[in-house]
Amino acid sequence: MPTVHVRLSQRVPETLAPELMKRLFFAASSIEEFQLFTEDGSVVGVELTLNSADSAGVAEKIDRVVAEQVLTQRPLAPRSVWESPVVRSEFTDAFPELLAQDTVVVSGEGQVGFAEPLISLFGYLDRRLRAIALSLEGAREYQYPTLLPTSVLDRFGYFGSFPQFPMFVTRLHNDIDVYADFVERYREEQRVPDDLFAHCSNTDYCLPPTMCYHSFHQYQGRELAGDSVITARGKSFRYESRYHTSLERLWDFTIREIVFMGTPEFAAECRNSVMRQTFALMEELELAGGCEVANDHFFANADTAGKILSQRMMELKFELLLPVAADRSIAVGSFNLHGHFFGESFDIKGPDGGPIASGCVGFGLERLVHAFLSQHGSDPARWPTAVAQEIG
Amino acid sequence: MADNRAVIREFILESITESTVGDDEDIFERGLVRSMFVMQLVLFVEQEFGISVTGDDLQFDNFRTVERIDELVTRKLAAA
Repeated sequence: MPTVHVRLSQRVPETLAPELMKRLFFAASSIEEFQLFTEDGSVVGVELTLNSADSAGVAEKIDRVVAEQVLTQRPLAPRSVWESPVVRSEFTDAFPELLAQDTVVVSGEGQVGFAEPLISLFGYLDRRLRAIALSLEGAREYQYPTLLPTSVLDRFGYFGSFPQFPMFVTRLHNDIDVYADFVERYREEQRVPDDLFAHCSNTDYCLPPTMCYHSFHQYQGRELAGDSVITARGKSFRYESRYHTSLERLWDFTIREIVFMGTPEFAAECRNSVMRQTFALMEELELAGGCEVANDHFFANADTAGKILSQRMMELKFELLLPVAADRSIAVGSFNLHGHFFGESFDIKGPDGGPIASGCVGFGLERLVHAFLSQHGSDPARWPTAVAQEIG
Repeated sequence: MADNRAVIREFILESITESTVGDDEDIFERGLVRSMFVMQLVLFVEQEFGISVTGDDLQFDNFRTVERIDELVTRKLAAA
């Protein structure tokens, strides 16, 4: 595969390098690998491994991402709101060993299955987070179906902000001629036709990128009797391109979500309460980590820089970051406030007749397992006693 | 400076449906503007007053009211 060195038309300050890195695989599908080149504190070029010969076209796309989505951003100084008292200097990359033992199974891109003792660890961590959710007054748990109507994401402009993530569900169009034509071709070619989608027309459903959209959909057009808390655990799906890694970043993963709906003060109090309890849990689990102001991964949108700036300035999003290596941490949870955005988008009213304010907290359970294994190793005998006892 | 306040007030009034805004009124808390408006405010003060708003100046509190924006502009102009 050709490796080419592309010089950027505009330099990118190193503080914005992560913003470029997390967009490159979405810029062009032909990029297999990349490495940034820096000079005097700025990124000046990218070395690309491409699966096509069109390096000029790819360079043009990267320049566009740099100009429209990276350089328009204003870096804010990191702001930490919590630091775990647990300090750790040794980390384990347990994944290769778990793979060799068949304890984890890679079934596709960003799709990983696992066996004991990870199932019990996963269940234990979720039970603890679920208990935090249910400690909030009036909290109710729901189990949602996997499929989410596409119209739910459409209702609040998801596709405009995150066009890179959604995964759609379709099927063959229900018409005897379509089935007959498809079956005939399938028999002839002995494989699914390349133009499969020409036989499909339905885009009514997609896979949920997170759980809270199920909850807003549930209460769409309704008036709440009072402040409400909902928790749900479910499979969530985001197309992560080539960014998928071990259990760390998956296309197909599980979220434990907590949604708060009511007055702005109620949403803020719930977020604070969940944050406090989560930090205490991390300490109890003997995990190193911290919590910082963060932003969502907006993409391909003229408003990207404005959305990121306002989200960070107003501290609408905090992320729980746990180290998985000496020089690298991953976000295992986020604590968010939405203002009246979802109340207005889904026409959910409070007792005063006005739109509700909302907030949500989401934990990526596979990621939490991954961070736990990175810090404590894969041998349950070396896990904190409380965890080892609970999972028996 | 009173003149700067008038210019800031005018910019905000062009973006909201209300016809008046108090200098000490929190335009975000009152729901007069969406959170995204903060980016427009940053770009506006930079272009209008020829200042650069970065790092520690990018505090939400600096942009909540006409008064606070004016204070930021005055401080930046004095330091320039």
